[in-house]
Amino acid sequence: MKAGVDRIFRVWNVLISLKLAVLVIAGLALTLASATILESKYDTKTAQYYVYRAGWFYALLTLLGLNILAVALSRLPWKKKHIPFLMAHAGILMILSGSWLTYVRGLDGSIRISEGEVSSTVELDEHVLVLRRDGLTQTRPFPWMPQAVAESFKGLSLPEFGVRVERYLADAEPKVRFLPATVAGEKNGPAVQIRILGAPMGGAPELWLWSGDPGWASQRMGPARFLVRNEDQKDLAASTVSGEARLDFIAGPNGSLRFEAVSPRGERKSGKIDLQRLTDRENPVVVDPGWRMPIRVQVKSFISKARNQSEYQPRTVKPQGMGSAQPEPAIQVSLISKPEARIWLGLGDQADFIDEQGLPLSLSYFPKQIFLPFGLRLKRFEMKTNPGTMDPAAYSSYVQVVEGLKKTEIELDALPVRHITMNEPLDESGHTFYQASYIPEMPRPVTTILSVNHDPGRALKYWGSILLISGSILLYLFKTLQKKKKEPSRA
Amino acid sequence: MRKWFFVLALILAMPAFPARGETSPEAVPGLNLNDLRLTPVQSGGRLKPFDEFARENILALTGSRTWSGFDPSEMILSMMVNPKAWADEKFIRISIPEVNQQLLLEGGRKFFSPTELLSSNAFLQYSESIQSNGSRSEQVTNTGVNAVTGKADPRSEELKRVVDRVSRFQALVTGRIWAISPPQDRNPETPWKTVMDGMAEQTPQSQAVFGLLKAYLDHQSGDFHTSASRMRASIEDLLPNPEEARPKLLAEVFYNRLRPFLAAMIFYLIAGILWLFAGAGMFPRVMSKFLTVCGVALHALGFALRCYVAGRPPVTNMYESIIWVSLGTMVFATLLYVKGRQKVLMSVATILSGLALFAADSAPMIMDPTIRPLVPVLRSNYWLTIHVLTITLSYGAFMLAMGISNVSLFRFYRISVTGESASDSQRIALLNQLSYRALMFGTVLLAAGTILGGVWADYSWGRFWGWDPKEVWALIALLSYMAVLHGRFTGWVGRFAFPLWTVICFSTVVMAWYGVNFVLGVGLHSYGFSAGGQAFVFTFLLAQTAYCLWVAFQHSRMKRSGARPA
Repeated sequence: MKAGVDRIFRVWNVLISLKLAVLVIAGLALTLASATILESKYDTKTAQYYVYRAGWFYALLTLLGLNILAVALSRLPWKKKHIPFLMAHAGILMILSGSWLTYVRGLDGSIRISEGEVSSTVELDEHVLVLRRDGLTQTRPFPWMPQAVAESFKGLSLPEFGVRVERYLADAEPKVRFLPATVAGEKNGPAVQIRILGAPMGGAPELWLWSGDPGWASQRMGPARFLVRNEDQKDLAASTVSGEARLDFIAGPNGSLRFEAVSPRGERKSGKIDLQRLTDRENPVVVDPGWRMPIRVQVKSFISKARNQSEYQPRTVKPQGMGSAQPEPAIQVSLISKPEARIWLGLGDQADFIDEQGLPLSLSYFPKQIFLPFGLRLKRFEMKTNPGTMDPAAYSSYVQVVEGLKKTEIELDALPVRHITMNEPLDESGHTFYQASYIPEMPRPVTTILSVNHDPGRALKYWGSILLISGSILLYLFKTLQKKKKEPSRA
Repeated sequence: MRKWFFVLALILAMPAFPARGETSPEAVPGLNLNDLRLTPVQSGGRLKPFDEFARENILALTGSRTWSGFDPSEMILSMMVNPKAWADEKFIRISIPEVNQQLLLEGGRKFFSPTELLSSNAFLQYSESIQSNGSRSEQVTNTGVNAVTGKADPRSEELKRVVDRVSRFQALVTGRIWAISPPQDRNPETPWKTVMDGMAEQTPQSQAVFGLLKAYLDHQSGDFHTSASRMRASIEDLLPNPEEARPKLLAEVFYNRLRPFLAAMIFYLIAGILWLFAGAGMFPRVMSKFLTVCGVALHALGFALRCYVAGRPPVTNMYESIIWVSLGTMVFATLLYVKGRQKVLMSVATILSGLALFAADSAPMIMDPTIRPLVPVLRSNYWLTIHVLTITLSYGAFMLAMGISNVSLFRFYRISVTGESASDSQRIALLNQLSYRALMFGTVLLAAGTILGGVWADYSWGRFWGWDPKEVWALIALLSYMAVLHGRFTGWVGRFAFPLWTVICFSTVVMAWYGVNFVLGVGLHSYGFSAGGQAFVFTFLLAQTAYCLWVAFQHSRMKRSGARPA
């Protein structure tokens, strides 16, 4: 019993010691300094992984908090002279607990909306695996880790779904590849590799179109859209946007390929593609879509039943540009029962399998999403550029808050319009929306990216700040006054 | 292509103003340049006097503030009337010797003439390749100082700047960048017509310019004066708001010609030396005070003028923040001096502020002294201004504490040689007390400034704190000083360790102030021309560390051998 009390006293004596405070403060300073060096050498995510979001860093901050609290309590009973000291230190405690509240209960995500759309989906900076089988959905966190940690990643088995994450890359770049489908039941479809000649932005960009996945089937380049489909995929054929230049590659049932082109004015053109000549280097297959633009499309290869064999590899060249580049992770997944068929997924991709019982099974690698209790509709996105350039000078979103059940377009249009621009956020039911960015598109951007924030620790942090500053000022004033009082008595 | 354009420019300019021989151009004596200096010009996104326009261009071309005794404004005129002589004048700067090699130019020289460069095939090829890579090189930027950003390779950046300098010279000679005719509708956003535009469509302003150039060429000081004042008046009449613009233009020319920070620097440095001997007699005692007052007055006047001209507090770049920080040092020192009358305070503060102003003034290529308009996002941002002013003011207090602590360390060194006397102990206690007071100001302001930064970030980006390197280094500096201040109560930081750590902690301030932008920022915001500054700051930190280590070594040796009684 006595030994227990003794131990508590010893711990208490350490906690109330100023030496601990100095050690913690100095340790914190050194830690932070190394974190910024880590950040400038690698990226923000790496610094967050090793320091800012690491458990031991929170433990260090907690120790600082406990230390301050213990020191304050050790001065009981408090006297008048303790007021400034208590104010300053209570301020720090409030700021720390406010930050803790923000960390636990706060929300910091982003929402992207295109003009005319309503969205309530907030994307967070956390990665998850979403598994779906037989009406069952499971979401499990799959946090980002740096490549040094990923080296020792042994794979992650999810036996209840029969899938396995085989490999993980912290920062990956895609290597697009399509191969003829060999395994029955595998997702497949026609794939065409094209090269765009005479593109207005210069160069000769190459791209793959693959009807196996909606994300791959249609690609937009500047004012034109390229698409590949099977003869029977009528839904894709119908999805024409007026005023766009469009070129469809249509795979026939007997392994043939033809094209249909529509110009922005609605002029149509079609023709067959001579598949024999695809390998001819001297005389390549070039399609003229008749768009009144000097654009020609070279067909480089065609696979009538292709599977996506795109892979990811560790990034070789860091992209140059302003701001620290975010690493782009990728994972490789497979069925436990069929480990040879592996699929690579970048963040935002989905893999579809057919399991042993013949049931469809999907695995997605997504940023975590949460849903707001209300929707936000983007009425209009506006970007102003510096005169004579394409450099954005200012951008703003005109949004409407949509509550309750589904509404008709007319009802939606009648909702009050609110304006969000830089330095002018929108507050709505405890959430704050800031204009963060947009998706660059031609001829003008129509998709806005707002950051969404909900911070229950804000009040604590603000009051804590006020206490800290006024406390420190009083602390110094008291000290100077005490000196003055002492000096005459000494004389 | 470029060569032809240059030749064309010469032909265009020559018939009107035939060159006078092959000798170096010389300044014309006895001209009244006041009206020319005050002539409004639209340049760099704002209205400025011709004097400032000329200074920025001379700095961009030569890398120095003035060239062979020419008044900057007159030098521009001289280039326009005498392009051929100027084309042969060696004044285009190449700062990096490797660029000389790359352009197959003679090594060991810093200055080349436009003709030399334009007759180098390597130069022409290079300038054409940047021209085809983008429209950037065609558009002459306002100053060569940070005309090109992007890749971090300092050699290719300098190469681009050299190309920019030559095309700037061509643009100056032809009047292509001298925007002189305001629009009739007085819309402040409409681009003005340039002198070159005025050759095709005669505007009253361009006619006045030709009259002016003619008078300059003929050395007619009377005609020169009348043309200049006519030109100035005809532009001022068309300004959207002449009553507001005129005093601002006047203030800017006054600011440029006075160079208040240079003057303050000289006053400070002389005063600093006099303060050291202020106990020695009447003369140094009175003079040191007088010179300090003059220095502070000039410093504050310069700051106020800059605020007035720019329409905002000057704290957006390194040059401006050094001015504000050194003013802060003087203010804190004066506050403490008024209380206790310790001369060492003023001596330290004047010397430090003088040196800081010297550093800011001596490297115009690294620390751009031109007044620029703010990025739209930062405009009219109340919190941002308050936050930056508060946080940089704290750097001023820390700088003062660092200076005093260095003096204190010097005392310790003297003790280690001669042994400690009672007066030494008293002196050290006093110095530490003063340095502690400066830290008081510093820590409160730094804490407040960091929090205000959080408030601004919260308002603007939606988060109070995001572990951004700039935020983090401000916090590191605060934590370092907090560790020292709390360490005093644990017995770990005694009367020797206190000044030692105060000096060492100042390096965290240097990191937060300079390092985050210039050292850590490499790769994020790559400005190749910050290399020179790194050497300077690194030397300072190295010298400071060496001094600390040396004193600590002497101090510990003395302690080990046992304190000798005095």
